[in-house]
Amino acid sequence: MSDRSQLLATGKSFAFDAETDAEFERLAARYPIRESMIMPALWLAQQQQGWISAETIEYVAERVGTYPAKVFELATFYTMYHLRPVGTYHICVCRTLSCYLRDKQEIVDFLADEAGIRPGQVSDDGRFSLEEVECLGHCGSAPVVQINGEFYEDMNVEKLRALLTTLA
Amino acid sequence: MAEMVKLFVNGQEVEVEAGKNLIDALQVVGIEIPHFCYHPALGADGNCRMCLVGIEDGRPPLVPACKTPAQPGMKVLLEDEKIKKIQRDIMELELINHPVDCPVCDQAGECTLQDYYMSYSQQDSRMNVEQVHKDKRLDFGCGVVHDQERCVLCARCVRFTRQITKTGELGIVNRSDQARVTIFPGRPLANRYALNIVDICPVGAMTSKDFRFRQRVWFLQKDPGICHGCSTGCNIYIDHHREKYGDDVIYRFRARTNLQVNGYFICDAGRLSYKTENENRQDRTLVDGVEVPLERGIEAALDKLNRARKPLMLVSPDSTLEQLWAIKRIATLYGAVLSGYSDAYVLAGDGDDYLISDDKAANRAGLQLLDIDSGKESFAAALADADLLVNFNNDLFFSPGNEDLQEALEATDQVSVCSHDRPAFSRATVILPCASYSEYGGSIVNRNNVLQRFARAVCRDADPCDIIEITRLLGGAISDNARAWPGLRQSVPALSRIWPERIPVEGVTLNSSEETHVGA
Repeated sequence: MSDRSQLLATGKSFAFDAETDAEFERLAARYPIRESMIMPALWLAQQQQGWISAETIEYVAERVGTYPAKVFELATFYTMYHLRPVGTYHICVCRTLSCYLRDKQEIVDFLADEAGIRPGQVSDDGRFSLEEVECLGHCGSAPVVQINGEFYEDMNVEKLRALLTTLA
Repeated sequence: MAEMVKLFVNGQEVEVEAGKNLIDALQVVGIEIPHFCYHPALGADGNCRMCLVGIEDGRPPLVPACKTPAQPGMKVLLEDEKIKKIQRDIMELELINHPVDCPVCDQAGECTLQDYYMSYSQQDSRMNVEQVHKDKRLDFGCGVVHDQERCVLCARCVRFTRQITKTGELGIVNRSDQARVTIFPGRPLANRYALNIVDICPVGAMTSKDFRFRQRVWFLQKDPGICHGCSTGCNIYIDHHREKYGDDVIYRFRARTNLQVNGYFICDAGRLSYKTENENRQDRTLVDGVEVPLERGIEAALDKLNRARKPLMLVSPDSTLEQLWAIKRIATLYGAVLSGYSDAYVLAGDGDDYLISDDKAANRAGLQLLDIDSGKESFAAALADADLLVNFNNDLFFSPGNEDLQEALEATDQVSVCSHDRPAFSRATVILPCASYSEYGGSIVNRNNVLQRFARAVCRDADPCDIIEITRLLGGAISDNARAWPGLRQSVPALSRIWPERIPVEGVTLNSSEETHVGA
């Protein structure tokens, strides 16, 4: 995993739109402990904005009623939260034990050499972004790649190359 | 007394307090269980795994001692090859990415990681890959400097800001070997207790900007003392050192645990007040602005006292009970009016609901016990009437508010017995230097009526006299702390059954002293 602690600031304040706000309040009623809302709130913010900026974290902390440092912890711990704007296709490559042993590095190297993106980066045309993530829970069919939430199991370089050509 | 239970450690029977966790319970009987993350003020977190012990009763083979209460008949296993291997393995993990820069680290000499390496590890590194590098010299604000590479991620600092100060500035971001303590960008530490983080950090990750690189800790002489920064009377360690060919200098104050007074912590203002003890000291005896030996100063003061028709003596609310008593006695001797007027020491609104008091005087409760008038009107009236003011280290201009007394002060001849060179003392025709609180011992009463005793810590070259010695030189009968106590016991009902040498280290609450100290 890379260092995710350098947050990007947009310079503009963030706030939930009316729809997200309503969803936030609906979910908040589920949790007896208010701080449990940090993760759903971050997820809602990401759905609204596409990624999570420093301002988003401050806003979420204020809405939930906790310390920004605590929201910062969670946002950097879970790679499902994007701390940078991502490409049209966000590619996650699992780097935990099974995938590591089943040559996930070949996939990462292929993406770096041929698609020109390194973990944490977005390609120049904005189509692809790459992140190495912790266990995706599909160890039985390692190595596994996740593209915009879809799982692709038993991956190798050939399969990925073919897959990428099918992406519009 | 707390309920005691008997349990077994490595087969040996020990008797410990019931309900306490194993780390605290066994520490009392001299058995150490290594730990990084547990701190009695912050509770058990269980993240460091260093305190894993075996309990031979069929439960899982290993449990964290910090989360395991002492129970009767419990069989605790510490000296076991399996436990030792775990401790060695944890130490190896902690040191994988540690820079091992002890020679330039301020924590060296009081570092848990160093000590545990010697006690539980002593192994060579097996790592042949490059270490993970993180940020160093991060200024977290409030004088706290962080080195992420030295951190063992015990989260004591994070828990301190969340549980104790409730300001939550710190967090651990990222995961796995990239995890690190940091602040949210643009929101540094902003609380009045932040430097306690340096004390509770078990390693050299959190250092004090004020203290770092100034002295190696093994040179410091660590004497117990009591902070005189306010009326809370927090217990401290006075860490001082006399360099070769140099003077005895205080390098830092640290919190000393006293659950009855300050718990485990002190405020930053009190911690940094050591500087006042080192700087701007009045060490010279002055008569009409000319430096003279102390004897000449005493002669001049005696001369003025003997000729004064209406002398006024002003005591400081920082002075000890013994000093106050000694001054009270010579006030009687010279027929002087005695005042403890010290409104300037009260900074209204500065205190909080934790350790910091509005009242910056260390012994105001003592002043009141001795029934010394502290009203402004009576002091102003006495001052207008007096032909000589003898000021025993009371800084009338500690804070603004006494400007109206300026004229009357200028019109009165003054003798100042003072520890520091301050405007309140400098107008005196006779200035006699006296010791400050790190240089004498005595007894003081805090805001909650807790009577505490402290001993002398520092011996500077100038070695100014204790105020008690000055009163003796001025004709008083009290020559040391012990000789003040018969009088104190006789004239102050609350102290009637107090023997100073029997005051426990955590102090004694005066209201209940009659019950707890009868004939003690």
